[in-house]
Amino acid sequence: MKTKLKKILPPLLLVFIVSAAAVIIGTQYFRFISEKIYEDSTDHLQEIYGQVNRSFGAFIERNWGFLDSCGSYIEAVDGDTDKVGRFIGEKQDFWKFSSFYFLSEDKTAADVNGNIYNVTADGYWDELLSGEDIMVGYTLGSGTEVTAFGSPCAPGKFGDFDYLAIAVSYTNADLAASLNVDAFSGKAKCFVIDEDGSVLLSTQTGGNVFGNYLTYLSAASDLEKSELEAIGEDLRNGRSGLKNLKIGDVKHCILYQPIGYLNYTLLSVVPESAINAGFLSVQQITAGVLGMIFLLISAAIIVLILFSIRKAFHKNRTELQYRELMFDVLSNNVDDIFIMIDSERFNVDYVSPNIERLLGIPASEARENIRVMEKCTVNLDVVIPAEDLKAIPLNGSRFWEYEYMHQSTGERRWYRLSMYRMNLQGTEKFIAVLSDRTRDQQMNQKLQEALNAARSANEAKSNFLSNMSHDIRTPMNAIVGFSVLLEKDADKPEKVREYVKKISASSQHLLSLINDVLDMSKIESGKTSLNVDRFSLPELLDELGIIILPQAKAKSQDFRIHVQGAPPELLLGDKLRLNQILLNLLSNAIKYTPDNGRILFTVSELESPAPQYSKLRFTVADNGIGMSPEFLDHIFAPFSREINSVTNKIQGTGLGMAITKNLVDLMGGIITVESEEGKGSTFTVELSFALPEQEQGEQWYRQRVRKLLVADDDEEVCLGIKELLEEAGVEVSHATDGKTAVDLAVKAHDSGSSFDIILLDWRMPGQDGVETAKQIREKTGKDVPILVLTSYDWTDIEEEAREAGINAFMPKPFFASTFWQTVKPLFISPAPAIIPAKEPEKNVMSGMLFLVAEDNDLNAEILTEMLGIEGAKCELAANGLEALEMFKNSLPGHYDMILMDVQMPVMNGYEATKAIRACGHPSAKTIPIAAMTANTFAEDVRNALDAGMDGHLAKPIDMNAVREFVGKMVSERRK
Amino acid sequence: MKKRLIPLILSILILLALPSCSTGGGITLKLMGKKSDLEKNYMKKIFDLYEESTGNRLEIISVDDQDYENEALKRFENGTAPDIFLHFHNADLNLYDVEGDFRYLNDESWVSDLSEGALSYCTDKDGNLLGLPFWESSVSGCYYNKTLLDSLGLKPASTQAEFDMLCQALVETGVAPICWPADGCSWMAQFGLDPIFADDPVMLEKINSGEIGYSDIPQVRDMTVWLSEAAEKGWFGDDYLSTGWDGISPTLSSGSAAMTFIWDTWFYTDFKDGGKYSIDDFALMPIFMNTAPNGTYEGGNLNMMMVNKNGDKVEAALEFLEFCATPENYNAAFEGISTVSCFKGQTTNIQSKMVTDAEQSIKENERVSTAASRIMGYNAEDMMTALNRMFRNKITVDECIAEMDSSRVEEIARGY
Repeated sequence: MKTKLKKILPPLLLVFIVSAAAVIIGTQYFRFISEKIYEDSTDHLQEIYGQVNRSFGAFIERNWGFLDSCGSYIEAVDGDTDKVGRFIGEKQDFWKFSSFYFLSEDKTAADVNGNIYNVTADGYWDELLSGEDIMVGYTLGSGTEVTAFGSPCAPGKFGDFDYLAIAVSYTNADLAASLNVDAFSGKAKCFVIDEDGSVLLSTQTGGNVFGNYLTYLSAASDLEKSELEAIGEDLRNGRSGLKNLKIGDVKHCILYQPIGYLNYTLLSVVPESAINAGFLSVQQITAGVLGMIFLLISAAIIVLILFSIRKAFHKNRTELQYRELMFDVLSNNVDDIFIMIDSERFNVDYVSPNIERLLGIPASEARENIRVMEKCTVNLDVVIPAEDLKAIPLNGSRFWEYEYMHQSTGERRWYRLSMYRMNLQGTEKFIAVLSDRTRDQQMNQKLQEALNAARSANEAKSNFLSNMSHDIRTPMNAIVGFSVLLEKDADKPEKVREYVKKISASSQHLLSLINDVLDMSKIESGKTSLNVDRFSLPELLDELGIIILPQAKAKSQDFRIHVQGAPPELLLGDKLRLNQILLNLLSNAIKYTPDNGRILFTVSELESPAPQYSKLRFTVADNGIGMSPEFLDHIFAPFSREINSVTNKIQGTGLGMAITKNLVDLMGGIITVESEEGKGSTFTVELSFALPEQEQGEQWYRQRVRKLLVADDDEEVCLGIKELLEEAGVEVSHATDGKTAVDLAVKAHDSGSSFDIILLDWRMPGQDGVETAKQIREKTGKDVPILVLTSYDWTDIEEEAREAGINAFMPKPFFASTFWQTVKPLFISPAPAIIPAKEPEKNVMSGMLFLVAEDNDLNAEILTEMLGIEGAKCELAANGLEALEMFKNSLPGHYDMILMDVQMPVMNGYEATKAIRACGHPSAKTIPIAAMTANTFAEDVRNALDAGMDGHLAKPIDMNAVREFVGKMVSERRK
Repeated sequence: MKKRLIPLILSILILLALPSCSTGGGITLKLMGKKSDLEKNYMKKIFDLYEESTGNRLEIISVDDQDYENEALKRFENGTAPDIFLHFHNADLNLYDVEGDFRYLNDESWVSDLSEGALSYCTDKDGNLLGLPFWESSVSGCYYNKTLLDSLGLKPASTQAEFDMLCQALVETGVAPICWPADGCSWMAQFGLDPIFADDPVMLEKINSGEIGYSDIPQVRDMTVWLSEAAEKGWFGDDYLSTGWDGISPTLSSGSAAMTFIWDTWFYTDFKDGGKYSIDDFALMPIFMNTAPNGTYEGGNLNMMMVNKNGDKVEAALEFLEFCATPENYNAAFEGISTVSCFKGQTTNIQSKMVTDAEQSIKENERVSTAASRIMGYNAEDMMTALNRMFRNKITVDECIAEMDSSRVEEIARGY
């Protein structure tokens, strides 16, 4: 403030000094000029009216002279009326008088026309008769004022009228015209007055209303009585004078000069403004010029000041604009909204433009009415009452947090509303800052969720440990308990077998529990990967059937596999995991379906989103105990088991469905479940599989099958087969019972166009497949191969079938590939008449020598014993390096196979295997090596294979698995 | 029974009819006039004189002033009109069927005895004499304080220019030139309008036919502008807007104002001595309102005795008028009454010195009261209202003229 004053003060002082100087100089100048001009003007006035006065005096004298000459002329012509009349007329044209009179002694007057008038001017008449020239004013009856000039002359006679003087008269208007002065813009009055002020003649246009001007002045002017008396004295003494006075409110100047006749005086009255008109004009021009100069100087100074102020203002404004610009840019780039509100009327003074970006409200709309923001709030109860705002103390603040919804995008974000009450240049304002706190909020939410998850995990962990403790201890209890009993009853073979059986069952359960837990752990930690490879759907279903059918049979359940449509037989996928999924579902169905219940396993192909993929739906439907809606909500959660009287009796880890769900998710599929307590459950799994490129194998044998008969009591099966084979050009006839099938076969045989193949369902009502085959053989001979379709284990009827003339069995469901594989051997060699007799099984491990690398003595001992049971022997190595050395040092063929533990000291199994494969021993590349490890996941299998091993055997060692592996290796070695 | 009743009824009817007949065998004439008019002494005197001299009787129908026109019109409509009807020659007379109801009197013997002003007043635009003027009369003009003017060294004006000079000179002496009682005194404007329409009967016809209005007449604007400027220059004094009828006398007698526009009889009825100046200090000059260069006087408004031409006693009525117009009778009636003479042979009335002194000027510049009596719809109060609004600077000159016009048209629409 002080700085501004310092800046403005000098120029202001300068303006003041210049103004004061101008005023002083102007005043002095005007005073001087005024006096000078007034002096000149009054001189001019006196000069003008002196001339007028002299002119008027001369006019009077001329008139008297004229009258003298007239008198002489009239006398000369002896009063000849005609001559006098003409003479007077000529003179009147020149002198412009209004009348000419002859005056008689008896105070009458006659004009040239002979009209006689009485004369009332007594005083003047005496003067005239005494020989004096006179001038007299009078008023005619019409009101016209007239002035007459009379002059004595020689007595004479005009017509009959005796006269001794003659006179001419002028209307005062005519006389006034000669006295009028144009010098003062017609504003001057001129009178001829007598010594007491009576007006004899006036120059006023339009007439005269002044009777006595001195009297008038005494009433209308500011002259003192003494001044008026002095003027009267001047008039009486024939003196001139000049006087300034005020008439009414107007300043005047009066000038009086005797006209030289009697005491008649010429009185001029002129307004000062008229006298000073010239001065006023000069004054105005001068004032104008000075004013202009003053204005120019002032303007220049003001311009300088303004320029300086403007410069400062511009600087400030530029700074302000920069600040505003920066603030706008800043506010546009931050997620904080700034609003300034008047604290009294709640009018919005400022809204940062980013409000539109952040809340979807145009800034102009918010500026017009801040309440428009209320519609953005997610909860309506967040409107802040005005009282709350007013309660904020000056320089204080309050904070709220609200969720706002973007008006354009609908996005919800959290804002912290900080409201400050401030005083800005005497006006109280609220400054609101809305800061985006969505991240904080989200972080808080995540932290909360994480906390909840941690709590939940902790709870789950506690539950898990509790569950595990229970579930592990239960079989362990059996194992420990029966082990004690085994020792006690070691001498009782029956008891021993019973105890061993129970210990084995508990061990298996414990093992499956550990497997599930590990599986679950692996999946949840995201370490599970899929081992994608080509697999055969029919094989998968066959294997499932082999596993499930016995279980179903044990509970007298009706288990069926239905394949709807023609799903592709070869798929790319993780067969092991798919098998695990379906086994879980089917095992559960078996478990939770009472005896004699029904389980239907359906495979169907859905419309695939892409041609190189096949989408399959696997449905497992049972009519078992079902599940409650509450349980359905968390069926896929770990350790979830429906708790009721039935399930309590059923063993389970509670991890199966969780693993299944995770595996389905891992494979990009979906799993759903519908269930109703007491009515059963239906699980549906939908998975997509890539399709492998089709192999173009030999197709020659297919040419041998041109006509086929199928018999199945389920006509859908017949039609399905018909559809599949007709695509391959096979003519298919079908029958839904054995008798009809026999009839069709006989009829074809008799007509000479026998069927190339006959397919018979094993279990048909009335007449089963075996019986039907027997009749066909009896009536048509042995030429036509007969295959029996069954979804059951046909081991029991193999003998009977052979006797009935059946050539082969085919598993249900029917797959074309299986069919052709089954049919192919029948056409390679002369068709085997019947199914070959089964050779007694031989233990492939018998007599073999295994190199076993196992660092655990106990495991090594167990394995040594178990191999011994199988008739095999082994040599032990304590680690991989020792195993390597032993192999390298052995003769070729010394060892038949190597069983390699993976996790060992010195050298692990993978390194040892690699070293063996690379050691150059003649059998290094060919000797079968199997991993023997507790690491049982897919990648463990893959790692084993990658290290050069031929197989993977999970610990604890299942001798069946060992036997299968060995058999496979032997078989391959034979090939 | 019926035979006895008939003579009885006849007797009653005869008795009832008796009072309506002249007691002395004379004629009874019905004369109708406003109550206030009939109460004038000179009217009562002439009625008495008539009845005494002729033995005839006058049945005076006296009607309250406010009901007069309605009652008279009703009578002329239903055939009960009087033989003699009193009415001023003003705009209200247009409500009657003048030609159909009244006898023109041009041929009567007394016409030549009428003063020029009275004859002019009672004659219509076609030269028909409508009635006998039997009324006190006055001269409206500019009455000025001669003594005051002399003391100020001033003379009366004889032209509009001089009047303006006089007003300005008076203002300069501190004396209000004109007493203009704007509060309730509404007659002044008509003095300015008289010359316009009296001097130009065609213009009067045009304005009455609706062909033109005030705004079409330049002289009306001249008058209004002059009034506006006079007020601005202070020619009406300082308090003229609050000065009314009662303020005129003190203003003039004190010498606060030098002149006013009024009629001579006012000095005998309302001027109160007691101030600086008395009635003898006043003289008369023409009214100047910028519509006549040499000024104007307004002749008196006269009550006329009109004869019902459809009555059954027309001749007797004419004889009554002749009786009134006889010099000895009207001199007897107007003896001692202050009035301008309506008859040339009028000698017993008192005529003011002011009027007598200005006789020549009056003769040259007097005009019949034209605006107030001949302009249809003219309403003095409306004129005053409009002018006062202009004086108060609420409306302009042109708006004032428009207001005067519109009020005139409204009055016509109301039947006046």
